[in-house]
Amino acid sequence: MSSTFCVTITECKTNGDKATLGFVVANAALGSEKDTMVFLSADGVWAAVKGEVDKIDEGEPFAPLQELVEKFTTNGGKILVCSPCMKKRRITEDMLVPGASPAGGAALVEWLANGSPSVGY
Amino acid sequence: MAGFPRHWDFDEVYDSLDRGCGDFIIDLRAVMRELAPGATLMIASRDAGAPLEIPAWCRLTGHRLLDVAPPFYLVRKMET
Repeated sequence: MSSTFCVTITECKTNGDKATLGFVVANAALGSEKDTMVFLSADGVWAAVKGEVDKIDEGEPFAPLQELVEKFTTNGGKILVCSPCMKKRRITEDMLVPGASPAGGAALVEWLANGSPSVGY
Repeated sequence: MAGFPRHWDFDEVYDSLDRGCGDFIIDLRAVMRELAPGATLMIASRDAGAPLEIPAWCRLTGHRLLDVAPPFYLVRKMET
């Protein structure tokens, strides 16, 4: 059984439900002792942007997205944010939440090529 | 807390109410990490997914599911 897990998220402002569910599952993976990485691309990058992530709250039974993201990072989860997707939206590194880092496709490919299962939202 | 099997012996109780999926699992890990290896935890979960979720979590983490009486689950923490 793999000791790692990956969740890819491509929506946030366009579909807060998907971003929320992605982080709920990421927390399930982390809570199940999997070294977990969330890869944000396309519109999903907004989930790692200060002042934007706090705008997403799908309501009960889901916690606000900011709370889910913070719980993920403070428990050791990694967030990688597609750097060209950031650039397209004029998002700079200093705008990212703590624990999130810009990265390119190679970082995602390396994580998956090492045998990590993944699920996409 | 009432309703759990009276013959169960446990060191700690975690009541997750009706929270489910990752919201529940990430906090369950934190609770389990505070326990000594071999300690037993009684989980109370009224989430509809718990009967499948908790056994799966035990298989993933190596903790042992000792007994089940929904909404109660008795788990022994893995020895190191």
